[in-house]
Amino acid sequence: MEELRKIIEIISNLAILIRTSQVHDIKNVAVVNLIEKVTGLINNFLKDEKILQIDLVGEFFYANDTRLKYSIEHLLNFDFLSRELKKRNIGTVIFKNMLGTEDTKTFLKAFLSAGFSKDPLKTMLDSLKGMTSITVDRLKRVKEDEALDMRKVVKKTYFNAVSFSKGLMNKIKTKEAVNIKKAKRIVESMVDLILEEEQLFLGMTAIKDYDEYTYHHSVNVSVLSIALGQRLGLSKKALNELGLAALFHDMGKVEVPIEILNKPTAFTEDEWLIMRKHPQWGVKALLTLKTPDPVLVRSSIVAFEHHLHYNYSGYPKVRVRHEQDLYSRIVTIADQYDAMTSSRVYSRVPLPPDKALSILIDRSGTQVDPLLLKFFINMVGVYPIGSMVLLNTNELGIVYQSNPAFPDRPRIRIIMDSSGRRTDTTVDLTERDAEGRFIRSIVKTLDYTKYKINLAEYLM
Amino acid sequence: MSEVTPIRDLLQTLLKTKKLVRMYPENNPMYIKAINDMYEKTVEVFQDIENDITLNIRQYEILYDDKQVYYNPEKTDNLALFFFKDGIRELKFLRGLNKEELEDFLKIISLDEKELIDDDIVTLLWEKDFQHIKYVVDESVLTEDEDYELRATQQVLEETTSPDDLLRAYRDAMDAEGVKPTQIVPLGETDLKALMQEFEKDSEPKLKKLVYIISEMIYQEYNNKKELEEIIPAIRSVLEYSIKMADFESATEILKVVKTAAEDKEISGDIKLLLKKIVEFGGSESVIKNIGEVIDRIEVEEGPVKEYIQQLDRNAITPLIEILGELKNMRARRVVIDSLAILGRRDIQNLVKGLSDERWYVVRNIVYILRLIGDKRSVEYLLKTIRHPDMRVRREVIKTLGEIKAPQAVSTLRDHLNDPDPQIRIATVRALGSIHTEAAKRLLLQRINTKDFLHRGLEEKKEYFEVLSSWKDEEVIEFLLKTLKKNALFNRAKNFENRACAAYALGLIGSKEHLKILKKYSDSGNPVFRDHVRNAIIRLEASHGRT
Repeated sequence: MEELRKIIEIISNLAILIRTSQVHDIKNVAVVNLIEKVTGLINNFLKDEKILQIDLVGEFFYANDTRLKYSIEHLLNFDFLSRELKKRNIGTVIFKNMLGTEDTKTFLKAFLSAGFSKDPLKTMLDSLKGMTSITVDRLKRVKEDEALDMRKVVKKTYFNAVSFSKGLMNKIKTKEAVNIKKAKRIVESMVDLILEEEQLFLGMTAIKDYDEYTYHHSVNVSVLSIALGQRLGLSKKALNELGLAALFHDMGKVEVPIEILNKPTAFTEDEWLIMRKHPQWGVKALLTLKTPDPVLVRSSIVAFEHHLHYNYSGYPKVRVRHEQDLYSRIVTIADQYDAMTSSRVYSRVPLPPDKALSILIDRSGTQVDPLLLKFFINMVGVYPIGSMVLLNTNELGIVYQSNPAFPDRPRIRIIMDSSGRRTDTTVDLTERDAEGRFIRSIVKTLDYTKYKINLAEYLM
Repeated sequence: MSEVTPIRDLLQTLLKTKKLVRMYPENNPMYIKAINDMYEKTVEVFQDIENDITLNIRQYEILYDDKQVYYNPEKTDNLALFFFKDGIRELKFLRGLNKEELEDFLKIISLDEKELIDDDIVTLLWEKDFQHIKYVVDESVLTEDEDYELRATQQVLEETTSPDDLLRAYRDAMDAEGVKPTQIVPLGETDLKALMQEFEKDSEPKLKKLVYIISEMIYQEYNNKKELEEIIPAIRSVLEYSIKMADFESATEILKVVKTAAEDKEISGDIKLLLKKIVEFGGSESVIKNIGEVIDRIEVEEGPVKEYIQQLDRNAITPLIEILGELKNMRARRVVIDSLAILGRRDIQNLVKGLSDERWYVVRNIVYILRLIGDKRSVEYLLKTIRHPDMRVRREVIKTLGEIKAPQAVSTLRDHLNDPDPQIRIATVRALGSIHTEAAKRLLLQRINTKDFLHRGLEEKKEYFEVLSSWKDEEVIEFLLKTLKKNALFNRAKNFENRACAAYALGLIGSKEHLKILKKYSDSGNPVFRDHVRNAIIRLEASHGRT
C-alpha cells in the first residue's frame, strides 16, 4: 500500500512538473524545485524496488504491473499526464539505477520538445539515446485478436446483464423471489470490464435496434452511469452500488400496463399520469424485494428521483425540495442520453448521439446537473460512439471508440471509402502524415437513423 | 522439501486463524496474535516456495500444483466448499501480500452464513480490490438464459444495412451542412473542488433521504386506498430498517407522517384504519423485539427511542413488557420503563396485565411504572399483587400504593405492618404516611400502642414517629407529648427509645412551644433519649431562634 502511495505521488508530481515547465522556463526556480522533488521521489522508490515501470494501458496507469486505482485528488494530474503521453505516442516510461537531477532534466527537455515534433516518439527516443536511467517505449495498441476476445467477453457480460434484467422484471411482476446477490455479481463484472474496456462496453450501449427496449435500456443506463462514475473517481464498491441503482432505476415500469408501454402513438394525459407513477412504483417494488440494505436504499432513492430533474420541474412533484442524490443525478443523465438515442415504442425515432448530446447541453442546469454533464461530455467526446460522420477524405464512417486525449479525434469504422464504395476498416483520427498533419478529420455528422444504418453491424 | 508441505501447513494455520478471528474482537490480544502468526507463516511459506501461491478450488478439496493440500468431505465448515459454492475456482496469493490485506481476507472468510445474506464471498473479495490476492470465478452461474445472447445478436443483425441506403447516406453527406461540434470545456480545479464537495455531501447516511421519499409517497397517496394499500409493505420495510440501523429519528418521522395523514378529516374510515395499522405495525411484537435487540446491543440516545415509542399505539404495551424481561442493558431497561410510563397512561388495563408476568423483576418494573403513572385505577390491581411471593415486588407495591395515595389500601396495608421483613414494614409505614387519611393515622397510633411495638428496632420506631409527625394535629401532638413524658418501670431502655422517637417527632413538627418541655429532658441520663431531645432542640432553635 505504501508503495502504491509513493507511485501515485510520483505520477502526480511528474504531471505537475510537465505542466509547470510548459508555462515556465526549465531554469525557473519552480521547475528546478519540482525536478528535484520528482527525482527524490523516484529515487526513494528505486531504493527498495530497483525499477519503476509506468505503463499507460487504455485509460489506466500500471506501475510495475499493478493497476493504479483512480482517485479523485489525482484525477486531473492523471488525466493530464495520460493526454500528454498519448500525444507523444508514449506508453511506457521506465526509471532505474537511481536518477540524478540532470537525468530528470534531460527527460523533461526531451518530453517538451517531442510535443512540438512531427514524430514525437522518435524525437523522444533520439533525445534519450544512451541514457540508461530513464527509457521510454511506444504506446501499445491492443492487438486485434486480443480486442476480439475482449469484445466477446464484453458482449457476453452485456447480454447476461440484459437477460438478468429481463428475468428480474418478470420476477417482480410475478412476485417471485429475486436474487440480489446475483445482480451484484453481474454489475461487478460490468464494472471490471468498464474499468478495462470502457469503449467496448459503451459501444454495446450504442446499438439500439433490440426488441426489448426496457431491459436493454436498464443495462445501458447502468453501463453509462458506471462509466461516468468511474470518470468522477468513485471507488469500485461505489461503482457497483451506482451500477445496481441504475440497473433498477426503471423497476417501477413493471406496473405500467403493457399496452401503455408498447403504445406506438403519443400518450394521452391519463396515460402520462400512469407513466409518471413509475418512480414511486419503483420504490415500492424495490423495498419489498427483500430486507433493505444500503444498496436497496440507494436504489430506491434513485428510482424515485431519476425524473425529478435538476430544477425539480420533472416528476413526481414533491412538497419539500431535498437535495437530489448524486447517483440520481448521474442516472438522470445516463437515462436521458440513452432514451434519446433509442427507438422506444413511444418515441419511434431515435436521435443521433451527437444531437442527443447537444440537447443534453441545452438541458444543463434545468433538467440535468451541469457539473456532472461536463464530466459526461468529456467521457463520450464530441462525437459519441455510434455517430455517423463524414471525413475530410470523403470517407463515411461510424464513431467506434472515443479518445479522451483528443475528444474530437475518435477512432472511426470506415463504411464507405472516398469513392463511395462500401468498405470496412478502422482508422484513428490522431494519425498524422509525414508533415505532422492529421490525416483525417471529421467535417460533417449525419443522422444514421434516416438511412436505416444498423449500428450492430459495426459495433458488435 | 516438497512445496506441498508448507502450503498444507499454511492452510491449517489459516483454518486456525479463521476460528480465532471469528471468536475474538479485533482489539483482543488473541485476535492480534492470530493475525501476526498467520502473516509470519505466510512470509515463511513465500520463502520456501518459488512462485506465488496458486490454489485450485474444488468442491471438497484444494489443490496446489495439482496435489491435494486440503480435503474435507463435510458440507459444513468446509473451506473448499466455502469458496466453491460462490463460484471461486482459483485463489492466488501474490508475493508482496501485506498484513492489512491478509487481515481483510481473513475477516471475509470468517463470516458466517448469517452475515453473508446480502453479499456472497466473491462480492466481498471484489469490493476489497486486493492487490495481492487474486481469484478466478466461474461466471457461468450468472447466465440466466444460455441462448439469450445468440437470439439477441441474431435479431439485431437480421436487418442488414442495404447498399442503397448506404449510398444515399453517402450522397446526402456530401450535401450536408458542415459540422458544428459540441464545445468541450476541459475540466479544471473548480470542477474538481465542486466534485469534492459533492462527495462530501454524498457520504451522509441515505436513510433519512429515503424516509423523506416515503413521506412524500404517503402524502401523495394517503387518500387513495388502493395505492396506500400497495405502499404499506414498503413503509413497513423502511420502518423496520430504520430501527435495525438504530435510526429512531427516521422511524419516528415515518410514524409522525402517518399520524398527520390520519388526522385529515377528508379521508374515509377505511383509509384511517390502514394508517392506524401502520402505527400498530410500529408497535408490533417483531418491531419491538428488534428495538430491544438494538438498544440492548448498542448505546443509543435515549431521547429518540422514547420519542419513537411515544408515537406508538397501545398494542405496543404487551411486547414492550415482554422485552422488559429480556433486556440485559440497564439503560435499555430504563428507556423501556420510561416509555411504558407514557404509553401505559393510555391503557392501564393492558399495562396491568404485566403484573401477572412470571418474572418477578418484570412485575416490579410494572409496579414502578404504575407508580410513575400514578393512576388510581391501578390500585385494585396493585392490591392483588401485594401478596406477591417476592419481597422486592411487595415492597414496590406498598411504596406505590402510598405514592398513589390510595385510601382503600389502608386496611390491606395493616397486615404488612407485621411483615417479617423490616424493610416491608418501614415501606408500609411510609405508605400510610403518604395516604395520610384519618384511618392511616389511627392505624399507626394503634400499632405504636401495642406491646410488640416497644421491642421493634429504634430505626423502625423512628419511622413511625416521623410519619406520624406529618399530621401535626392536636391528637398527634398530644400523643407525642404523652409518650415523651412517659416513664416505665420495666423495659426502661426500650421505653426511652419510644420517648426519643417522640422527641424526634416533636422536633420535626417544629413548634416553638415544645422547646420548653424538650429542654426539661435535655440532661436525661439515657443517652439515646438525651441525644434525640438535644437534636430536636437544635432543630427547633435553628428555625425559631434561641429562647
